[in-house]
Order: sequence, then C-alpha cells, then structure tokens
Amino acid sequence: MNISEKTINNYIILSIQGILNASSAPMLKSYVAGLPDTQSIVVDLENIEFLDSSGLGVLVGIARKKKTSNAVVKLARMNERVKKVFEITQAYTLFDIYDDVSAAAEA
Amino acid sequence: MNPIATLTLQADLRYLRIVSIMAGNVAEIFADGANVAEFCHAYELSVSEAFTNSVRYAEPSQKEKQVKICFWSDNGTLTVNIIDKNPQFNPITEAPDINSYPEGGYGLFLIHRLMDKVAYTREDDSNILTMTKQPKITCNNALYY
Repeated sequence: MNISEKTINNYIILSIQGILNASSAPMLKSYVAGLPDTQSIVVDLENIEFLDSSGLGVLVGIARKKKTSNAVVKLARMNERVKKVFEITQAYTLFDIYDDVSAAAEA
Repeated sequence: MNPIATLTLQADLRYLRIVSIMAGNVAEIFADGANVAEFCHAYELSVSEAFTNSVRYAEPSQKEKQVKICFWSDNGTLTVNIIDKNPQFNPITEAPDINSYPEGGYGLFLIHRLMDKVAYTREDDSNILTMTKQPKITCNNALYY
C-alpha cells in the first residue's frame, strides 16, 4: 500500500493505492496519527484494490478521533468493491462521501 | 465433495494477500454469468477475514501456528474450509453498533452477509469454518420452462 499526500484548501488529501487489509492497515493508522488531531482530511479511495474489515476499522477509528477533535474525515471516489464493505456494515453513515476529491475539499 | 486445492500457511498476516488472491481465483472458476466480480469478491473477502481471525486468535504458546484452507467442489458449488488449532470460538455475530464507531468486530459479520451458508464445527482440537455461496443465475443463462 502507498499513501501520498497533498493539500487542497484546508484539507490534507490522502490518496491510498493498493491493498488496505489487516496487514497494511496499521500503516495508515500510524500515518494519520502523525498528523495533528485537529487537521481535517479527505481520503481518496479510488485506487484501493481491496479493503477488508481491518482497513474499514482503521478508517472508522480515524473518523472517531477526528470527531472528538472537532475535525472531519471525508471519503472520496469509492469504487464498487469498497462501497460494498461500507454498505454491508452501514459504515457509510459515519462519513461524508463524495464522488470527487475537489468537491470534498470545498464542502 | 471433491478437493480442489489445499493451502497451509503460517499464521502470519504477511501471507494474507496470498490467501485472498487464491480465493478470488478459485471462485472465478465457479462464478456464473454477469456476477463474476461480486461472486469472486465475496470469496476473496470472506476467506481473508477468516484467515485474519485465525492469525489473530492463535495462541502464542501454540507450537505450530498454521492455518489450513481447503477448497472443495460439490455439484458445481464451491465450499471453503478454514481450519486452525485456536481455542474454540462463538461464530455467531451480530451487526456491530456502528454509531459507537467500533474499530473491530466486522469480520465474522461480513462473512455471514457475503456468503450464503456459514457453518462452524469443532473437531478434536481444531476449529473448522465452512463457507459456501451459490453463484446467482442471471436471465441470460437461467432455464425457462
């Protein structure tokens, strides 16, 4: 899994590429832990090839942490495989979800 | 049932991708019509979740921490067994309370939702989780009378 970062408006955009599973999810958790708690972020999911429950759990954990810090985490560009996991678990109810990154960073 | 393939791996998450790729590739052989992607994803994800649980609940004192994955076919239906020597567990799981932002507890719930049939048995000192899913018959290849 690769994570790349850029800034749009006041949001840090994290683009994740590859596999977000039980093996790689701790890497995303550590990466976000290195950002200020009050920093709002957009996670670009377009290039995720595979998401499992551990990857989902890390995203939910980030959302909880941001909520308590009065920051937000938004998700952008979910593909069908990722969407399926969010639909089954109802985790989509915890996030603002956008079709494109720019819209997420402007809202 | 006829055995297709058996994979025995050390209980280590470094091998998780091998498990999911194999499950997806075997499932592709049994997929039917327009639902190939959904069918393969269900096996890929369910077998990954089961393997992850087997790794996470392996006791440190266990000498041979291994997980065995067996693929079987029965009249065109693909069945997968995940076998480990971990302590017995309760395979019934309810939906996590999503409003409490849980970081875990989704794995078995996902498996139950993705697969048509999930069974758990304890034989001697082994846990055996059995999962089956029927490919959906689409209009193009359904039989009409």
